[in-house]
Amino acid sequence: MITLEFTLNGRAQRVMVPTHWTLLQILRDKLGELGTEEGCGEGACGSCTVLVDGHPVRSCLVLAPRIDGRSVAAIDGDDDPIRTAIQQAFIAESAIQCGFCIPGFVMTTVALLRDNPNPDDDAIREYLAGNVCRCGSYPQILAAVRTAAQAIASKSTTDEEIAHAG
Amino acid sequence: MRVWPFEYVPCTTFRQAIDALVEFGDDALVVAGGTVTVPMMKHQIVRPDVVVSLAEVIDGHRIERTGDIVSIGALATHAEVAGSATVRDGLALLATACGSVASPAIRNMGTLGGNIAYAESASDPGPALLALDAAIVLEGPKGTRVIPAREFYRGFYETAREFDEFVVEVRVPTPSPSAVQRYMKWSPRAREDKPLVGLAVLFQMEAGRCHDVRIAVSGAAEVPTLLQAAADLIEGERLEPSVIAAVAKTAAAEIKPFADLQASAGYRREMVEVWCRRLLTGIAEENQ
Repeated sequence: MITLEFTLNGRAQRVMVPTHWTLLQILRDKLGELGTEEGCGEGACGSCTVLVDGHPVRSCLVLAPRIDGRSVAAIDGDDDPIRTAIQQAFIAESAIQCGFCIPGFVMTTVALLRDNPNPDDDAIREYLAGNVCRCGSYPQILAAVRTAAQAIASKSTTDEEIAHAG
Repeated sequence: MRVWPFEYVPCTTFRQAIDALVEFGDDALVVAGGTVTVPMMKHQIVRPDVVVSLAEVIDGHRIERTGDIVSIGALATHAEVAGSATVRDGLALLATACGSVASPAIRNMGTLGGNIAYAESASDPGPALLALDAAIVLEGPKGTRVIPAREFYRGFYETAREFDEFVVEVRVPTPSPSAVQRYMKWSPRAREDKPLVGLAVLFQMEAGRCHDVRIAVSGAAEVPTLLQAAADLIEGERLEPSVIAAVAKTAAAEIKPFADLQASAGYRREMVEVWCRRLLTGIAEENQ
C-alpha cells in the first residue's frame, strides 16, 4: 500500500491504495469518479485520458506512485469553465452516440484548445488521433471541437469587455 | 485490466537503478514512461516482483546543447524532445520524428531512452538518430560506455545494451544549419500507428549536389537501419528523377524486410521504394 497526496480538479486528495494500482483505478475504484472510462486498458483507445500537470496522459498506464504531488484533471467535477464549454459543445453538436469514449475526447480537447485556441480541422484530427470512437462520431466530434473553440473565444472576449467596463 | 502486485523501487539516480537491478536481477522490470512496460505487465507477458522506476530520476529530462552536441536525458519524453527549442533549432529531423510518435498522450508519457532501450523496430526516433549519427550513453555496474547508434541496434528487439545497463543519455551532433534534414512517417491505417515506413534523410547540398548523405529507415526491417548503398548513390549527384529512382530502388533492394500480420516482406520492400522516391522528389521540388 502507498499513501498519495495529489489534487483532483483542484481539490486536495489523500488516498491509501495498493502500490500496483493505476491512476484509473484510483479515480474509479477509490474515489468513485466513474466518468473516466476504461476502454482497452493498454493505452491504445484514449477513453481514460486525463490531464496530469496539464498534459494529457493515459490514466490506465500511470502507476499509482507516480501521481504523488501531482495535479490531476479528470472529467468529473463542475469547476472548470473550459471543460464545461467543451462538454456543452459536444451536446450541441450531437457528438455523443454511446458516449463511452467522450470523456477522453473532452479531456484531450481541453489540452488542445489551451495549446491552440483556434485549431483548423487538420490540427484537431492530429491532436485527437489517439482517441478512438467506436460509433464513428468523428464528423460531429470535429464540429464540436470547432464550436467549443468559438464558444471559448467569444466567452473570453465577453469577459474582457466586462473587466474593461467594470 | 489489472497489474499484478509488485514492489515499487523509485530511483532518483541511475546508480540506484543499477544497484536495484544487481540486487533483484530477473525478478525486476525497469519502467520509464510505462507505455510499453505497463501493457506488458497487464498482459502478463512479464510478471515482475519488483518495478525499478526511473520516473523519479533527477535531471533525467534535461536537454542541453554544448558546442555542436545536443545531450538529451534518457527520461525526456517524446513530447519534450519534439517541443524543445534546442532540438528544433539544430535537430529538426529528430524533433519531427519524436513529434510523429503515436498520439499526444503517448508522447507525453513514453521516453526517448525507453524507445532506444526497447529497440522498437517501428521506431520514429530510431532512423533519425541513425541519420544524425547520434551516440547512446550506457551506464552499468562496470561503468559508462558510449556506443554509436549505428552499432547499437543489433537485431529484432536486440541491442548492444547489456541486461544491467541503462540508456542514460543520447548525444546528437548538430549538422550544419544549411543541411537538408527530413523525417517522414507512413502508416497505412491511422496516424497514431507505428510507422510501416519511417524514413530519415540528411545531407548537405552544395551547388545543387548532395554530399554527406545519410538515409535510415524503420518499420520495414527488424531494426532501424542505415541504407548505405542508397546513400552512396546520391553522393555528389543532383536530385534528378533518374537519380531518385535509382536510389529508391537501391534502398528497397538493400533493406532486409520482415513479414507480420500488418504487411508481407514484399510489400514492405515496395513501400520503402515508393516513400523513398516521394520524399526525395519532394525535397528536390523544394530546392528548385
